Amino acid sequence: MRQVFKINSVEKELTLNPGDTLLQTLRDNGYTEVKCGCSEGECGACLVLLEDMPVNSCQVFAMSVKDKKISTVKGIGNLFHPHIIQKAFVEAGADQCGFCTPGMVIASYALLKKNPKPTKQEINEALDGNLCRCTGYVKIIEAVENAAAILSPKVI
Amino acid sequence: MMSHDLQWYYPEKISEALKLIQKEGVILHAGGTRILKTEPRNLKGFVDISHLKLNYIKKEVKNIIIGAGCTLSDVINYCKKTNSLDGLCMALAETASTPLRNRITIGGSLKDFPVWSSLYSPLIALDAKLELAGVKELCSLEDYVKKNIIKSKHIIKQVVIKDDKDIICRVMRFNLVRFEYPIFNVAVALKVKDKVVMDSRIVITGVKGRFHRFKQSEKVLNGSTLTDEVIAKSTEYFVPKFHHDYKYSPEYREHIAKVYFNDIVKELKEDMK
Repeated sequence: MRQVFKINSVEKELTLNPGDTLLQTLRDNGYTEVKCGCSEGECGACLVLLEDMPVNSCQVFAMSVKDKKISTVKGIGNLFHPHIIQKAFVEAGADQCGFCTPGMVIASYALLKKNPKPTKQEINEALDGNLCRCTGYVKIIEAVENAAAILSPKVI
Repeated sequence: MMSHDLQWYYPEKISEALKLIQKEGVILHAGGTRILKTEPRNLKGFVDISHLKLNYIKKEVKNIIIGAGCTLSDVINYCKKTNSLDGLCMALAETASTPLRNRITIGGSLKDFPVWSSLYSPLIALDAKLELAGVKELCSLEDYVKKNIIKSKHIIKQVVIKDDKDIICRVMRFNLVRFEYPIFNVAVALKVKDKVVMDSRIVITGVKGRFHRFKQSEKVLNGSTLTDEVIAKSTEYFVPKFHHDYKYSPEYREHIAKVYFNDIVKELKEDMK
C-alpha cells in the first residue's frame, strides 16, 4: 500500500505494509539515517521525533502516525548544514562508530528544546533510552553540555 | 512479523470504536508498544484511539482524572507540575525509558495487565477507579482484575484518582537491571492526619493472582503513629506468595519484598514528619 507521511517538513508518499513499524517504513523508503539496532525499543538507535517528542520508531506502527509530524536526524541538520548539537558531538569526539549518534542527537535535541539549561542528571535522564557501546557516555554528556552552553532556545 | 492484511480503523467516536472491537481479531491500538511486544495471534485489524480525544488530565471536584490515551510522560509531567500523586509519578518515571514513556499509554498499561507495567500497584494503593466506555458506574481497579472485566472487550475511557493531600504513597520495584521488567512492585498508600495513619492500602504485583492486598498489615498500620513495633508487626503479616521462577525462588522474592515493604513504611514515616 502507499501512504503520505510528513517527514522532515516534506510530504512524501511511502510504500509500506499495514503492519510495518515506522522504522521499517522509513528505512525501506530511503531514510537510512534512522538506524536499526535492537528492534525492541531498548537501544534508541531508531529514535525519531514524533510531534517533537522522541520515540523509538521500532515501537511505533507507521499507520498510527500517518497524520503526525515526523522528524529524523536529517530534519535537524545535515552534512552541509549541521546543527549545533551535531557539531558539538563531532567536536567532543562523542561519535566513535556513529551508529548510536542519530538517536543520541534526536534525544539531545528534544531535551534542549524543552530544557535549554539541563543539569547532568537531566541529561542522563533524557538519554536513558540510548545505548552507546563505544564512548562510555562521558563524551556524549560533554557534547550535550557544550551544545547547551552555545544554544539559546531561540536557535533550537 | 505482523500480517500484511491488517485493517486500520480511525473512529472519532467511542461508541464507534466499541462496535469495531467486537469484530473478531480486531483490537484497540493506543501507543502500540504492547502489541509489538506480544504480537497477538489471528490479528485482523487495529482500532486506533488517537482520534477519540482521550489524552487529557484534569482536576474535577476531589478527583484527578486521567484520560486513557495519556502517555506515561504526560502523567509524569502533570504530577511534577502540580506537585501531586508523587508515588504514581515515581513509579512511572522508573518505567522503561524516556522515548518509550512518550509512547506507552495509561490505557494500554492497564489493559491485559502486562508484566512490565508498574502502574497497577500505585493505582490500586491509591484506590483508583476506571470509567469504561458504555458503563455508567465507575469500576475499582481491584474489581477490574478480580471480576475478570479485564478479559472482556471494552474500552477504558479514564482513570479516576482521589486528589487528597493527606494521602502519601510510595512504590518500589524489584529488578536487577534498571531496564529489566519488574519482578514485583510494592506500593503503600497512607492517609495521614496529625501524624496518625487513618487508612492504609498495601499492594504487591507480580505475585500469584496478579496482585495482592495485605489487609492484616493494613489493619495494624491503621490508627497508629508508625512506631518501630507497629512497622515490625505489620511486616510480619506481609507474606506475598510468588510463582516458581527459574531465576529467583519464591522464598528469595518473599524475603526481598519484606525488606522493600519495611523500607517503604519507614520512608513514609519520615514523610509524615
